Amino acid sequence: MSTFARIRTWWNALAHRESVRQQVEAELEFHIEAWAEDLIRRGVPRDEAWHRARAGVGRADTQSEKYRDAIGLRLFDEFGGDLRYGLRGLLRNPGFAAITVLSLAIGIGATTAMFSLIYAVLLHPFPYAGADRIMNPVLINEQDPSQLRWFALWRPQFAEFGEAKCIRSLLGFRNKSEELSGKSLPEDVQAVYLTENAGQFFGVRPLLGRMIEPSDAEGGGQPVVVLNYRFWQRHFQAAGDVIGKTLELDHAMYTIVGVMPRSFAFDDTTGVGDVYLPAATLHETPAGLRFLIPWVKLKRGIIASAASAQLNALVHAFARQNPQVYPKKFHLALQPIVTPYQQDTGRALYLLLAGVLLVLLIGCANCSILLLARGAARRHELAMRSALGASRWRIVRQLIMEALIISFAGAAFGVVASWWLAELPMHVARNSFPAESVIHIDLPILGFSIGLALACGMLFGIAPALRLSRPDLAPAVQSTARRIAGRHGHRRLNALIAAQAALTLLLMATGAMAIGAFLRVTHIPLGYDPHDVLSAGIMTHFSDAAEWAAIESRSSRTAYFERIRQQMATVPGVLSVGISIDVDPPYGGSEQKFELLGRSSGPEQDARILEVGRNFFSALRVPLRSGRVWDEVENQRGDGVAVVNQAFAERYTPQRSPVGQQLRLPDLVSHAPLVAASPSSSGFRTIIGVVGDIPNDGLGHPVLPAVYVPYTTLMMPYAQYNIRTRGNPLSYMHALRASVASVASDQQISRGASTLESELASDPQWSRQRLFSILFGSFSAMALLLAWVGLFSVVSYGVTQRTAEFGVRMALGASRTHILWVAVRAALLSAAGGIAVGAITELFLSRMLAQWMNSRSAGAAGLFAVIVLFAISTIAACLMPASRAASIDPCDALRYE
Amino acid sequence: MPDLVELPQGALELLILKAISLGPLHGYGILLRIQQMSGDRLEILQGSFYPVIYRLETRGWISGEWGESENKRRARFYRLTAAGKRQLKAESERWSDMTGLVASILKVAPGEL
Repeated sequence: MSTFARIRTWWNALAHRESVRQQVEAELEFHIEAWAEDLIRRGVPRDEAWHRARAGVGRADTQSEKYRDAIGLRLFDEFGGDLRYGLRGLLRNPGFAAITVLSLAIGIGATTAMFSLIYAVLLHPFPYAGADRIMNPVLINEQDPSQLRWFALWRPQFAEFGEAKCIRSLLGFRNKSEELSGKSLPEDVQAVYLTENAGQFFGVRPLLGRMIEPSDAEGGGQPVVVLNYRFWQRHFQAAGDVIGKTLELDHAMYTIVGVMPRSFAFDDTTGVGDVYLPAATLHETPAGLRFLIPWVKLKRGIIASAASAQLNALVHAFARQNPQVYPKKFHLALQPIVTPYQQDTGRALYLLLAGVLLVLLIGCANCSILLLARGAARRHELAMRSALGASRWRIVRQLIMEALIISFAGAAFGVVASWWLAELPMHVARNSFPAESVIHIDLPILGFSIGLALACGMLFGIAPALRLSRPDLAPAVQSTARRIAGRHGHRRLNALIAAQAALTLLLMATGAMAIGAFLRVTHIPLGYDPHDVLSAGIMTHFSDAAEWAAIESRSSRTAYFERIRQQMATVPGVLSVGISIDVDPPYGGSEQKFELLGRSSGPEQDARILEVGRNFFSALRVPLRSGRVWDEVENQRGDGVAVVNQAFAERYTPQRSPVGQQLRLPDLVSHAPLVAASPSSSGFRTIIGVVGDIPNDGLGHPVLPAVYVPYTTLMMPYAQYNIRTRGNPLSYMHALRASVASVASDQQISRGASTLESELASDPQWSRQRLFSILFGSFSAMALLLAWVGLFSVVSYGVTQRTAEFGVRMALGASRTHILWVAVRAALLSAAGGIAVGAITELFLSRMLAQWMNSRSAGAAGLFAVIVLFAISTIAACLMPASRAASIDPCDALRYE
Repeated sequence: MPDLVELPQGALELLILKAISLGPLHGYGILLRIQQMSGDRLEILQGSFYPVIYRLETRGWISGEWGESENKRRARFYRLTAAGKRQLKAESERWSDMTGLVASILKVAPGEL
């Protein structure tokens, strides 16, 4: 049997329906004629001959149907009929159609959105070719395994590393802050230098022009630059003709050769580059800085663990040549580049997926409920079909087809809505996601939502279909449609209402928990005032030999930073300016050991060490509890003084005030090339003051004991300014940049200057709790709305169907309250049962959920509030339609046939 | 007039293939030829005749084309395809095997076993 012939026949019958019908009829007509003529030739009278021929062959106009049946299109035609009938039925009941389709659209839209988010963030976050084989090699310090370290390779090592057998190709990169010169005020750009194989390594097609190419390494590096999408938008207003123009960086001219697409945001973990440059153009004076960070693309079929073992040996050989920059005991691990996001965001997203699936289930329950409720009204019609000979299978098929129409319509709306729903979490918690993730609805996602629609249609369609396809013929056909008092399918309907109520309550309780947790995070007393404070960085030009010579010594650099501070303070509207190094509340400082004079140093005597200027406390409004802060002279000396926080005083000197005690920080030393340490940075210091606690280990974690020392102790090549302004600090950016440039005309403020409020908002705990509270809050709102609509419709249907019955009851003397009760009893009781079940489940689940969401459970008060809210809306949903029943005029009702 | 015979299941398909194998024919022609070949002992129910033709065409065993009949009218002529020839051969063998077998069983006289 040839499949091809069959497909051709089907195609003809479907695509050329009319012509095929005509041909089939013409063929039969010919047959009738030929036969009739034969008969006439044999002497049969003309009329009788035609009559016999027609009667023998059958009517030509029904032949087309026989043809379609014979070639196996019957099932298809019947489905087509079901589809048309179902569509007509839905269009006749626009209210019903709208509610069911919308119920599903909400669920399917939210689920599709969440799935596309998971797909974009966890399953397919990077646009790079072979992204699953790209690894980030990290060094794991065996004495402190939680501490991962990037590792750098010097040029000769880099070549050796790249020859390892497991490596398909090796990318080297370096981030460097550069000055966009040639404008009135210098501006900071994040430059990423890439080895010249970058184009082939990433395999991402540039939006315009080209990526860095191997030929760019020729002649000591070609002065070419490729732009990041956002930088291109910001600086060139997305102009299409930038290729060939020049860009001035650190007073050198570079030709723009390409623009990367939006999805390319290398590299989110070390800082997304504004511009990409060939690594060969990186000429830095201190030779110790000529290193590159590697990214490895493994060969196909190589397991990461085998590859790490191979590379581990290599890196240990490097460590023997250069022991000071490696930890004492370490091993190398290859980390897939998606790992940093999977750890935290992954769990959050799966939790959210569970939430949307609950919404979807509630939506499905809603559709089931509505179909069952409407089914009662359709019993007459279905009984009639059955009486006319429709098989049960045929009726089930018809009803499921109707369910599928609803679910596919819902899916269509849902997919459209998911478009922007999916972007929502990314706006709410931007830094929890890779910068590269761009949400787009593509094939796998469409496939997912079609599958979802099919599954939903089956899920909510099957129960009503099975129930309704077995009508009790006699009473249904005899009575008119309206008179049947509803006893049918009630058990199933009530069970569905109860299940829906339970799920809704569960979701609402989870929402309440998330919102409660977020409120707690936002109401933690901070200990400082984050409003209207800008945190701006100044990175000196240490790679420019002439500029560096002027500020290389400790005293000249202190003077330089202080001059900038004073200039900033002269800007009108600036209230105070402090300096700090690596202090970004709610984070700050690093963990170090310390010794207190006269106190045996225990093994676990650690504190956060923070380097700040003397104005830091006043700029952030951190209260001084006792003693004083160091003065200008002490600030320049760096040694001999320290200030501690209250947590320190409470933990380590509970008996007496710490002021006046002596303390030593043995690890506060540095021999790094760009750091200028004070003469006795690790010597004894006198504690001269105690300040209030401010979070230094993230929100939601207790404040750690902290020791503040002058920032000049280990003088870095950069400093951070905490600038308190009157009103929005970002509006002072231009004036601040001008004030910095007045000290040194080439000195720019680093990119990413941000307010302390936004630092607070980007705290993972804060943003995750916010994400959870917003999303679970909206999930519960959706669930509540769905449950509300479901109950409302069920009771309305009941009232419409039982109008005559209510009329009789009233005529017999039933009171209006009684009628009201009869109308709502079933729905209200089932909903109450569902609430009870939901509340009990929540009590069992809340501990586990709280652990997953990293927060405490909402507690009895939250649950109680949710139950009350839900109960009130349930009663409202039942009473509103039922009050119509109670206000019926018995005379009208009895006439209502 | 000789006795009429009713066709067993599936036999009509085989007969149609056989009729067409002798040369292209239109529907009515097929019917006539089968009757002629059977010595007018077969009467085929006309209503079930065309669905069998359609089925054979869908399976790719015969193919129909519009042409002109002996009395100058448009008619659809069917001929055997290569697949149809193979099918006819296989099916005829199966049929004669089966009838031979049934006949030989029926011939068995008591006492021969």
